[in-house]
Amino acid sequence: MAVINLKNRQIECKIVYYGPGRSGKTTNLEYIHKAFQKQVIGKMISIDTEGDRTLFFDFLPLGLGKIKGCDVKVQLYTVPGQIKYQATRQLVLKGVDGVVFVADSLAVRREKNMISLKDLHENLLKMGLSIRKIPLVLQYNKRDLEQMGLPVMSIEKMDHELNRQLKVPFFPASALSGQGVGNTLTQVLKLTLQSLQNEFNWAQ
Amino acid sequence: MNLGEKIKAYYQEAELYETHGLLVESLEKFRAIEGLIKANQNIRNRNTLLAKISARIETLKKTIQRLDGTKKAPQASPDAQSLMKEMYSFNDPEAKGSSSLGGAIALAKFGQYDKAIEEFNRLLDQDALRLDAAKNILWCWLEQNYGDYAVSLYQKWRKTKLFPPEEIASIQNYFSALVKQKGLNLEIEIDGLESQQTVEPDSEIDEDELLDINSVRFALPRGAREGEKVELEVSFQSGQYIQMIMPRKQKELIESIKPGDLFKDMTFYSSVAIFSGEGYVSARNEINAGPKKGDSSLEIKIIKIIS
Repeated sequence: MAVINLKNRQIECKIVYYGPGRSGKTTNLEYIHKAFQKQVIGKMISIDTEGDRTLFFDFLPLGLGKIKGCDVKVQLYTVPGQIKYQATRQLVLKGVDGVVFVADSLAVRREKNMISLKDLHENLLKMGLSIRKIPLVLQYNKRDLEQMGLPVMSIEKMDHELNRQLKVPFFPASALSGQGVGNTLTQVLKLTLQSLQNEFNWAQ
Repeated sequence: MNLGEKIKAYYQEAELYETHGLLVESLEKFRAIEGLIKANQNIRNRNTLLAKISARIETLKKTIQRLDGTKKAPQASPDAQSLMKEMYSFNDPEAKGSSSLGGAIALAKFGQYDKAIEEFNRLLDQDALRLDAAKNILWCWLEQNYGDYAVSLYQKWRKTKLFPPEEIASIQNYFSALVKQKGLNLEIEIDGLESQQTVEPDSEIDEDELLDINSVRFALPRGAREGEKVELEVSFQSGQYIQMIMPRKQKELIESIKPGDLFKDMTFYSSVAIFSGEGYVSARNEINAGPKKGDSSLEIKIIKIIS
C-alpha cells in the first residue's frame, strides 16, 4: 500500500516485477539501475542468489521528483520466480501498488508463464486484490533470442494466451539490451499513479 | 533437415538454454539428442557422441538436484536483513512497538531465524508484545528442528514466571498445537507447574567417544560485546559437560551469557583435533569460596558435533 502524505506532498509506492524463474525480472532492475541513474536514490540490493536465481527479492529505490506538486518515490521489487518460493512471493507482494509481469518469450517456457500468471492472480486474491483491478503491465521479454535461433513465441500468441482476458498494456522487450524496459516502467508508473489519484486524489 | 543437422540444432539449443539458466529445458534437449543417437546405428563416432551427451546430462542432473535440494534459507547480509525488517514492518497504533514485531516476523518468514530470535528476545521485555514474541521464538526453533531446545526454553519460561498464568496457558496451547502439527514426539509438560527443573536438550554425543577439550570458542549472544567471538579455557570436563571460569573483572562477558542459551556455532579445541558443534548453557554460577571467589563458572552441555 502506498504511503501518501498529503501534508508534505509525498508519495511512496511499490511496484513488483513478477514472473516465472529466469524470465528476466532481475535483469530489468539491473538495466533500470544502470540507465536511470538520475532517478536512482539508493543502492540496488540483490539479496543472495543461488546459481543466478533470486532467492529472496531484489530492491531498487527510485525518486521521480515532483509530479503534480508531489514528491514521488518508487520502490521496485522482484520476486523469486521458482515455484518453491511461494511464501517469499507472498511477502514481497504485500503492499503492492503496481505489477509488471515479465513473461519469457521462449517457446519452452510457455507453460511456466501461464502458471506464474495464475500464481500472481491467486496471491493477489489472498491479499484481497484483483488482478483485473491492480495496475498491471505485461512484458514479453527475451525477444532477442529469436536471432540466436531459439524458438520464440510470437507476440500475438503470447498476448492471446496471457492477455486475452486482462487486456492490459504489453511491451516486447529484451531486458539485457534494455529494449522495452523503460517503456514498461513508464507505463506501470503511469497506471499506478493514476490509480492512486483515483483513490486518494493526491494531484494538485 | 537431415539427422546431422537436427542433432546440431538441438545441441545449440540445449547449450543456449543452459547458458540462460534454463537447466531443465537444456536437460530435455540433451535427452532428445541422446534418443536420436541411440535410435540410429549409422552415426559416425556414435559411442563417443553418446558418452559426451551422457556426461552433459549427468552434470545437468547434478546441478538441478543441488539447486532444488537447497531448502535452508541462507543467512542474508545485515543490509538485506535490515531491509527485510523495514519493508515488512507494520504500525499498529494499538500496540506500541508492533512495527518491531512485524519486522521480526518478516525476518523469520524469510528464514533469517537467528536474527529474528534476537529481535523477538528483545521484545520479551515489552508487555504488549511479549506473548507474540514468545510464540514466534518457539516457532523459529521448531522450524530449525531444535525441538528439544524449544521445549527447554518453554520450561524455563514457566519456571521463571516471566509470563502471567493466562499467557503461559496461551503459549502452551500454541506450542502443543505446533508440535502436533509438525508430527514431533516432544514431551512439553514436566511435573506440572511446580517443577524447578529446566529440561535440557538431549545430547547426540556418545560420552565415551568425546575427546578431552582444552578450550572452546563461540560468539557472545547479547550485550555490549554481542557477536564477538571469545575463547575460554576448559577447567573441568565430565562427559558432555564442560566447565569454564569467567573472571569477575569481565562483567560484560559474564552478563552476556545466560543459562538456556544455545550456541549453534562452537569450536572445540582438543590437543589432537579441532571440531565444531553446538552447546547449551546448562548453568552459570558465581563462585562463593576459594581462590576463585567472585568469578563465575560457566557450564556448557555439548549437544552436537558437526565436523
